[in-house]
Amino acid sequence: MNILETQGLYHDFSGLKVLFDVNLQVEAGERHAIIGPNGAGKTTLFNLITGTYKPSRGKIVFKEKDITGEGPWKILRQGMGRSFQITSTFDRMTAFQNIRLAVLSTRGIRFNLFRKVDSMPDITEEAEEILRRINLDSDRDTLAGNLSYGKHRSLEISMALATNPDLVMLDEPTAGMSKDETHYAVELIRRLTEGKTTVVIEHDMDVVFSLADRITVLHHGTILATGEPCDVRDNQAVKDAYLGEMGGEEDVCY
Amino acid sequence: MMNKTVKWILWIAGFVFLILYPKLFGIYYSNVFVTFAIFALYATSYNLLLGYTGLLSFGHAMFFGTGAYGTALALTHISGFPLIPALLAGVLAAIVLALILCPIMVRVGGTAFAMLHLAFGSLLYVLTLKLRHITGGEDGIGGFDIPPFSIPGIVSFDMTDPLQFFYFAMAVLVGSIWVLWFFTKTPFGQIMIAVRDNAKRVDYLGFRVPQTKAVIYVFSGAFCGVAGSVYALFQNLITAEDGYHVMTSFAPIMMTMVGGIGSFFGPIFGSAIFGILEELTTRYTERVELVFGLVLVLVIMFAPMGFVGTVKIIKAKWFTRQGV
Ligand SMILES: Nc1ncnc2c1ncn2[C@@H]1O[C@H](COP(=O)(O)OP(=O)(O)OP(=O)(O)O)[C@@H](O)[C@H]1O
Ligand SMILES: [Mg+2]
Repeated sequence: MNILETQGLYHDFSGLKVLFDVNLQVEAGERHAIIGPNGAGKTTLFNLITGTYKPSRGKIVFKEKDITGEGPWKILRQGMGRSFQITSTFDRMTAFQNIRLAVLSTRGIRFNLFRKVDSMPDITEEAEEILRRINLDSDRDTLAGNLSYGKHRSLEISMALATNPDLVMLDEPTAGMSKDETHYAVELIRRLTEGKTTVVIEHDMDVVFSLADRITVLHHGTILATGEPCDVRDNQAVKDAYLGEMGGEEDVCY
Repeated sequence: MMNKTVKWILWIAGFVFLILYPKLFGIYYSNVFVTFAIFALYATSYNLLLGYTGLLSFGHAMFFGTGAYGTALALTHISGFPLIPALLAGVLAAIVLALILCPIMVRVGGTAFAMLHLAFGSLLYVLTLKLRHITGGEDGIGGFDIPPFSIPGIVSFDMTDPLQFFYFAMAVLVGSIWVLWFFTKTPFGQIMIAVRDNAKRVDYLGFRVPQTKAVIYVFSGAFCGVAGSVYALFQNLITAEDGYHVMTSFAPIMMTMVGGIGSFFGPIFGSAIFGILEELTTRYTERVELVFGLVLVLVIMFAPMGFVGTVKIIKAKWFTRQGV
């Protein structure tokens, strides 16, 4: 069963055609990677699915419901979380306060004006538990903007997961990370997305091959191929587009 | 634990200070203090937008003036109208104005937000001058009866007595500031701060940004209205100049900047600083604005975080030096 489907999705920015008849299908429970060269339209596709923009044409179906044109807040409440390519946290708030906001949202606490947030022990506990899980408990009271790059990215990723979504959309979670940080982040993602559906945009082919159950290749705004990692790698069109330089560990496929 | 005890002692000390203030300083300085407290509430309400949500408005006198005119008009036209309903009439008027404006205002930000407020504020100023038969034009509305604060059959306080008015005003103003303080500590207060930091992420956490801003906007407007209403009762007069003039809009901006933009208590210190400055300046010259402007320039150049921010920096330096 597909948890997410885009049907004939088009998008252009005042004339500039960025996406062209995109039909993406994400199965429930899988880890799905989206790859493609810079400027292929991967982030734009995420922006359409998560509600930043309305598509010029086409339909987005999430959990068998048409969500085309709905705003980010509404889509999130239906169970879709998202992280950003460029880290987007609350930088003048502490790591704890960042996560706590996600916890408040999950519990539907939005217009509560009658209690102090600091005296809600269950909220505090849950936020601290999440911080522990991502090894940020020692940075509980550090302002998000002052975290080291790797930790800041961890926070970004876990903000997408802290609302406990069914579908997680991660936009280049390892962008700009060192080899070690990438390795750590991949383990973190693997652990946190256990039992969820994940769509991840990723450039690092080692990461793609180690995480993804299926891959979709986006090229010049349209889907070139989609399928299991090894099939995609052996696809002639993909080879041509990538000039045969797709990488990935050889032995995975055999 | 220690901290909590200190907090309580400070609260009680502050309370005792307020009770004894008129006895210690006399009626004249009690009135100076009421003015300070009115502007402290006005600036604190304003700071919910500027400091907490990151929205700069050039027209918040609208809410102050509407609160004041609401109360003044109610007392002028309805004979025997009691005090608290008169106060609430002013607040309600400010809330209605905020509700009318918020559908537009929550969808714009930055320069558009500032300028739209300037425009609407100026419009109300001119309307108040023109609609003479309602607003009294340039002369404003004054000389209305100030009803006593009474709980029928139990007590009645004469509000024309400066001492009794002082206590009434303090109860309303300090109570309001406390409500605002509590507001910033609630879960909603956290969302408010988050909107300032990164509205896009707030949206992506499932909160509705425009609605959140609307609640803050109406809250801010309502308490500016409280300040305006108490001002009208205190002066027994409200004019277009005091209520809607652009200088009245700039007062809370200046107070917040000078007192410290990044802190809840900054605007209160700002109001105190301007109160003291005005008191000192008027002994020598009428040109109060000149001094205010100069102070503002100096603060922006040398202490951009304002009074509270500077104190924090000095404190941090002091403690690290001691630590070494
Ligand atoms: N808001 C926008 N306005 C105009 N053009 C845009 C906008 N966002 C993206 N584009 C353009 O759309 C195209 C696709 O951009 P997009 O960010 O989706 O690519 P991407 O596949 O995510 O690339 P990268 O790997 O570099 O992140 C690019 O040519 C980009 O310049
Ligand atoms: Mg991108």
